[in-house]
Amino acid sequence: MPSIGTLAFDEFGRPVLILKGQESKKRLFGIEAHKSHILAGKAVADTLKTSLGPRGMDKCMVSPDGDITITNDGATILSMMHVENEIGKLLVQLSKSQDDEIGDGTTGVVVLAGALLEHAEALLDKGIHPIRIADGYELAAKIALDHLDKIAESYPLDLTKLDPLINTAMTTLGSKIVSRCQRQMAEIAVNAILNVADMERRDVNFELIKVQGKVGGRLEDTLLVKGVVVDKTFSHPQMPKEVRNAKIAILTCPFEPPKPKTKHKLDITNVEDYKKLREYEKEKFTEMIKSIKDSGTNLVICQWGFDDEANHLLLSHELPAVRWVGGPEIELIAIATGGRIVPRFQELTAEKLGYAGYVRELNFGTTSDHMLCIEQCKKSNTCTIFVRGGNKMIVEEAKRALHDALCVVRNLVRDNRIVYGGGACEISCAIEVAKEANQIPTIEQYAIRAFADALESVPLALAENSGFSPIKTLSDVKSQQIAENNPRLGVDCLNTGTNDMKAQLVIETLIGKRQQISLATQLVRMILKIDDIRLPGESEE
Amino acid sequence: MQPMIIILKEGTDSSQGKSQIISNISACQAVAEAIRTTLGPRGMDKLIVDNRGKATISNDGATILKLLEIIHPAARTLVDIAKSQDAEVGDGTTSVVLLTVEILKNTKTFIEDGMHPTIIIRAIRKATALATKKVKEIAVYVKSDDAKEHRALLEKCAQTTLSSKLIARQREFFSKMVVDAVLMLDELLPLNMIGIKKVTGGSLEESRIVDGVAFKKTFSYAGFEMQHKKFLKPKIALLNIELELKAERDNAEIRLDNVAEYQKIVDAEWSILYDKLEKLHAAGVNVVLSKLPIGDVATQYFADRDMFCAGRVQEDDLKRTQKACGGAIITTVENLNEQSQQVMGTCEIFEESQIGSERYNFFTGCPKAKTATMILRGGAEQFIDEVERSLHDAIMIVRRAVKNDSIVAGGGAIEMALSRTLRDYSRTVPGKEQLIIAAYAKAFEVIPRQLCENAGFDATNILNKLRQKHAENHMWFGVDIMHEDVSDNFTAAVWEPAVVKINAITAASEAACLILSVDETIKVPKSSAEPSNAAKAMNMA
Repeated sequence: MPSIGTLAFDEFGRPVLILKGQESKKRLFGIEAHKSHILAGKAVADTLKTSLGPRGMDKCMVSPDGDITITNDGATILSMMHVENEIGKLLVQLSKSQDDEIGDGTTGVVVLAGALLEHAEALLDKGIHPIRIADGYELAAKIALDHLDKIAESYPLDLTKLDPLINTAMTTLGSKIVSRCQRQMAEIAVNAILNVADMERRDVNFELIKVQGKVGGRLEDTLLVKGVVVDKTFSHPQMPKEVRNAKIAILTCPFEPPKPKTKHKLDITNVEDYKKLREYEKEKFTEMIKSIKDSGTNLVICQWGFDDEANHLLLSHELPAVRWVGGPEIELIAIATGGRIVPRFQELTAEKLGYAGYVRELNFGTTSDHMLCIEQCKKSNTCTIFVRGGNKMIVEEAKRALHDALCVVRNLVRDNRIVYGGGACEISCAIEVAKEANQIPTIEQYAIRAFADALESVPLALAENSGFSPIKTLSDVKSQQIAENNPRLGVDCLNTGTNDMKAQLVIETLIGKRQQISLATQLVRMILKIDDIRLPGESEE
Repeated sequence: MQPMIIILKEGTDSSQGKSQIISNISACQAVAEAIRTTLGPRGMDKLIVDNRGKATISNDGATILKLLEIIHPAARTLVDIAKSQDAEVGDGTTSVVLLTVEILKNTKTFIEDGMHPTIIIRAIRKATALATKKVKEIAVYVKSDDAKEHRALLEKCAQTTLSSKLIARQREFFSKMVVDAVLMLDELLPLNMIGIKKVTGGSLEESRIVDGVAFKKTFSYAGFEMQHKKFLKPKIALLNIELELKAERDNAEIRLDNVAEYQKIVDAEWSILYDKLEKLHAAGVNVVLSKLPIGDVATQYFADRDMFCAGRVQEDDLKRTQKACGGAIITTVENLNEQSQQVMGTCEIFEESQIGSERYNFFTGCPKAKTATMILRGGAEQFIDEVERSLHDAIMIVRRAVKNDSIVAGGGAIEMALSRTLRDYSRTVPGKEQLIIAAYAKAFEVIPRQLCENAGFDATNILNKLRQKHAENHMWFGVDIMHEDVSDNFTAAVWEPAVVKINAITAASEAACLILSVDETIKVPKSSAEPSNAAKAMNMA
């Protein structure tokens, strides 16, 4: 009887229906429910485990439409896996919220949550109340977070010396496919952030950084444009391919005679009227061109299209023009060039024009692809990262990697405290938590100890992915950390010969780590607190 | 042969008599089984997936019962009382259901023995009156003259509610927030003036309260990013006007017979919009909020004049803004000028800033500040949803406590005190009522018993200890979850507003009487096409 507790019988022993569609509903209860949650959580975490660290592997996901994505970004993998299980979905959201908030460490947070669940299972078997386990985990998380604050180091945030920032970005990129040009990518990310960062408010508006990708070329050809790149070309092939000292008119009205929005009908009954209409249209076109010319514009950017007649007129008046530029790009161009968006020709004046030092068309290889690049703008606080790569998958993955790197640098701008990566801070926290555990007099002690073990799952996975014997490596590092009292020792994934992460420059942000621990703990508490699941069965209709 | 007389529609299911009452009681018992384990600080959560695959994780009795889709008519009564308790006091929804079922269970034997339901009902009514009188009698009135003391009382009440929820560990943090929010409100304490906004990502401790209004950035058109994002003491106009270039009348059609008039129409349309925009600008407005869309032309117009605008603002957000900043929601700008300041609101600081991956508009330091907004953070959507429900309960309790400052001790203490009083009283009553009142008194013990059972304690042992303490007139002794013992819960600051208990007792008794007084159920079939589910189950059985 799967649904004990929802069935009642009347005096003849006939079942009384209480819930709608009761026969088809599924219910899991008590310890069985806990076990099934833990199993689901572990399965999801196991999928991601091999993606952790610089020697982590990528996953290839094929969507129902046949689109292929190759990535090792935890949040992306999980969101594309279409997890069905409810507990699995919670883990997907966990990595997504880490992605939203921090941008990096999305794999680590899931691995940690999975490990916490796994250790909870052993405790449940001992007969410890799930809420006490959760309480113990929260106590332990607090110890770990306090310890992290203690071992964190303040990082010099000097705008003249970018090396420290670049090193952090490199740590993030180290596990990605772009690690081939790690340094270059890291530099791009740092420059991009510093370009748009508001150092006083310590705020970084991501809307001002645009990441554009184009298939073709090599990864090394990726570049940062301090300005805007638009995937458009000049509207007429005979227009000049580059404009210097461009005065840009940014229009959001179509280059055609204005039309009323109200439904209308124009009756033309004779030839005279028809000619008049032509006259009128022509007059309008010349009027428009004139108003543009008069304002001193030498480049027109338009959100809408313009027909051949307008195109021809623009060419003959030596006005290079770009049409069908999307809304967000228009906005970026306006911000970059300091221009104002003009909704009507009548409003076009010289003050509203934007300025860019150099506008040129980029050509790629032998394909007829062109892109428009607007550089040396008046206010250069927008920038575009232009990613190149051999195939679409690489370009997409490089974009994601850059996003992670950008987030990390942004977090450093916000809070410049760091901890050392490579599992170093996890091991250090684990040691501290295990030490504190002995001083707790209640049952929670077991949970705290389990938490310490779970923290070690990150360095374990790192070592395993790097092909070391995980337990040996971990115990070596751990004993060394205790002996030298040095929280900077981690797993030497790349075989560089030292396991001092400070020397290896493997750096992670403090807020990223803190977030991982507190998010994972809170989610595990939520999962442990559930003792009853009700699922709708297959509907009969 | 006698002719059959059919009175009811064919297929109508009718059952009656004593067995009907008993079967109704069994059904209610089955329902209570489903939420039994959610009670108390060691209570567990339920995960319920509905037919559309939406998962809800909750510990709130009313929420769970609502989602269970109960169809049994008698059991539906329980859902209704849980709902009414939720609406009336907000908390104690699980206990009210448990209490009802326990009363029913204890009276079941009397029904089986052939006692008439009306006698039982009369006795229950009598006992209820006694119980509520007793609660009022022993409730402790805390003087609210001292603001600090009053605040401490409110925080204690909020903490007691939160201790059984997911955020039990953070209850001090959240109880402060809840009390802050409630105290910001005006005399009437309208619930809808506390806005709760949920942003995934970040840890629970990053939740915060805004003494004003905050809402998510609305959909924006090109030009939005160029607007100023921070104003000090802005003038805020709240509109219910569409600021978009559009056909003024949907089904209108214009017939033109002259080309020259074409331009006039276009100009007329533009001037309708521009008139509105100019009026707003002329009145010196800095921030424009509208319930209806604000189009791209208007966005750019405002950007051009250093104003901020947001269209499609949710209605309740707009109303809260109005409450906080003053002013009025206006439907025309015709009469807006420098003099009509009273329709415009203001606040100290308006700012747009980033929370997680979303941008929020903040209005802080409002002069009237009769409204508050809580911004909740957390790892997963279901997680925040449950936090919201928990906070809703806490807010309701605090609201109640502000109005009625009498409190009783929780953790089963008040129930034990009532149980003892009623038992003593029952011995003075001659006749059948004695039995019923004693049974009613015993029903109260279900709350401490369930608290113990959920925590995995020996319920009988603890209950006996409690009975002994109460017999010695220690009336505030209740279950001590943390130490598996009994303790004086009044000094331990496990407090609940007395009105919550009174409401729970009356609601539970009334529901019990209602179920007891039904002796016949006539169920009309839905339609003749398909036999109802119940009939199908009958056939199967």
